[in-house]
Amino acid sequence: MMMLLLPHREEEEEGGAAGRRRFPINDNADLLAEVLGRLDGRSLAVAGCVCRLWSAVGRREAVWEAVCHRHVAVGRAGAAGGTRSVVAALGGYRRLYRLCIGPALDRLAGVRRQGPAVSSAARHVSLSLALSLFSIDCYERLGGVGGRQQQPPASLLFLCKPVDVS
Amino acid sequence: MKRQHEDAGREGDCPVAMGLETGKGKMVPMMTTGDGECGVDELLAALGYKVRASDMADVAHKLEQLDVAMSSDDASHFPQFASDTVHYDPSDLSTWLDSMLCEVNSPLPTLLPSPTATAHCSNGHSLSISSNSTVTKDSTAAPPSASGVYDFEPVPSPAAASVGRVVYETDPQSEKILSPRDSKRIRTCSSSSSSGGPTKEVASFLKQATAALPVVVVDTQETGIRLVHALLACGEAVQQENLNAADALVKQISVLAAFQRGPMRKVAGYFAEALARRIYRHNPLPQADRVALDFLHSHFYESAPYLKFAHFTANQAILEAFAGCHRVHVVDFGLKQGMQWPALLQALALRPGGPPSFRLTGIGPPQTDNSDELQEVGWKLTMLSENIGIDFHFRGFLASSLADIEPQMLLEPEGKKGERDGGDEAVAVNSVMELHQLLARPGAVEKVLGTARALRPRIMTVVEEEANHNGRTFLERFTESLHYYSSMFDSLDNGANGEAEEEIEEQRRHREMADAYLGRQICNVVASEGMDRTERHETLGRWRERMAQAGFEPVHLGSNAFKQANMLLALYASGDGFRVEEAEGCLTLGWHTRPLIATSAWRIGAAAAIR
Repeated sequence: MMMLLLPHREEEEEGGAAGRRRFPINDNADLLAEVLGRLDGRSLAVAGCVCRLWSAVGRREAVWEAVCHRHVAVGRAGAAGGTRSVVAALGGYRRLYRLCIGPALDRLAGVRRQGPAVSSAARHVSLSLALSLFSIDCYERLGGVGGRQQQPPASLLFLCKPVDVS
Repeated sequence: MKRQHEDAGREGDCPVAMGLETGKGKMVPMMTTGDGECGVDELLAALGYKVRASDMADVAHKLEQLDVAMSSDDASHFPQFASDTVHYDPSDLSTWLDSMLCEVNSPLPTLLPSPTATAHCSNGHSLSISSNSTVTKDSTAAPPSASGVYDFEPVPSPAAASVGRVVYETDPQSEKILSPRDSKRIRTCSSSSSSGGPTKEVASFLKQATAALPVVVVDTQETGIRLVHALLACGEAVQQENLNAADALVKQISVLAAFQRGPMRKVAGYFAEALARRIYRHNPLPQADRVALDFLHSHFYESAPYLKFAHFTANQAILEAFAGCHRVHVVDFGLKQGMQWPALLQALALRPGGPPSFRLTGIGPPQTDNSDELQEVGWKLTMLSENIGIDFHFRGFLASSLADIEPQMLLEPEGKKGERDGGDEAVAVNSVMELHQLLARPGAVEKVLGTARALRPRIMTVVEEEANHNGRTFLERFTESLHYYSSMFDSLDNGANGEAEEEIEEQRRHREMADAYLGRQICNVVASEGMDRTERHETLGRWRERMAQAGFEPVHLGSNAFKQANMLLALYASGDGFRVEEAEGCLTLGWHTRPLIATSAWRIGAAAAIR
């Protein structure tokens, strides 16, 4: 409901005295993407269950890229384009969030709840750390030469709650 | 914590009279003025009892035990209670209970064979002892007097006099605080400081790591204490070649270990097995093939943060050293599964200025079967690099010992030099827990360091276990490794139980494999000798000396590495137990106060560069 109101207000200036114009958000996928990109990960995943359009838009890499960047502390200002290609090669932002950033944020939130023992410097996830873990996971999934798949990749198990990994 | 005891100490001085007046069982509202009341349970405080909220479970437990003890004691003890109760101030409930339990337990006869050291164990938890001084330091100390061993009358034996005691670091303030206390309590409940050795108790269940606690928790699980005593006695018996006694003790250890739970049980089990191997000469440990060893190693990688910490900090140092270089070459002394390198590749791909062309030389042991692990790893890394856009080359070397490698093998292949643009390549040498294995052969480590220096690396990263398992005598090594692996197992165990939810099957399997990995190390340290004993860990100080002798000078690891390590640890469920510390430019990761693994970085010293 809230989602529909947002673009509502944006369009108000054109409404004039005749009352508000209705603007179905589903007519404009890019605008929808902009809006969805401002969500947190969990809400975005939920939004992807609304309808097919939202599911498709919600899977866009650009949307997840915005979500990721919003939730990590970007240490060094690396070239955004370079990051994009590397992340795409490793599996994409959506996967990055699902495997690394999301669980890390959950873990840190849990730690924060338990007590202020963790120093403040350690409380946010840095992009470089998330990418390091992501790259290790991607490497583990590459498998052997002859297709000999060894034990399932587990380097990110320490982050996961006991729910299905893949 | 300290203030709590200071308050109690002050009370111990004056209000004995108060206790006398009120007698047993009456509650006196004694609100102290101590401002360190944080964590004191308010409801009990209103009644006049000071109990820290974190101690509640422990106090309840002790109350139960006291109840049982008093109800089951025969009449001969009652007069003692009746006359002695008034001496103690019951408002500090925890320590009062300790003293009461001491009184209850002290008349018990001891069944222990010669207790050779004093130790403190908390209920069922592992032996989280932090020991800074080595055992040999105290070998000349006065033998433990009657006041030295709590809970038992020490069985006099010639062995006990000569053996070093397990000592702990302490806070000197705590000694002063203890003295105004009832002398009877000190005699029965705390280790004496007759040898000048300090005392400390690490209550692992309180998860307090920094301040030294002035003791005194009576371990109600006698098997725990006996187990530690038996282990140390067995080690000492083996040292003296008294194999009959050692044999008997090993059997006893196995029995006692069955009563324990958790990490203590595992540690005792592995050490008992290792001791048995040594006694019965089931040497050497059947040489597991490389696949199995790698398997265990990778599970250890996944279940504990130590190796990830090592890789991340080393990578950060290498990344910083490679800043601005267009051709880089990394020599990895122990490639194993190559888990260190994806993160470095990714970081190089994203660095400002674009990625360099990257060459990796991986060294690994020869394979028993026909599989070529090194090439597989190289292939995977090549695929990853292609995906992320790095020009990557890989070369693998099979060598049963690092000392067999000559520098010429590792340098750039002839003819190619100068053809590529970008000038000379920058070299980094990386060694994660490989160097200590060379110490078995004299001269090997010097040769390897010489080889490393001959490559003219910009940086050499060295990660080693922070322990002294290469002492001259068996007993030194035994006691040191007992502490080290106790802390290690403790940290692994807490890692699993950090989450409230149940551990998933995968994680449990990883942990079991990780335990087996450590168990093999324990076996090697305890049961092997000579060339077979490859797990010759040495402390950071000793490695610093060796590197300096080889012509290297230290490079400080910097704050980025420190921050990243902290962030990594924050992600682990039991992050508050792990500690990253910086020591003269090197980073160590430890469990509470005990550093367990150390990363350091080196470059060729100015003096050596001239040569």
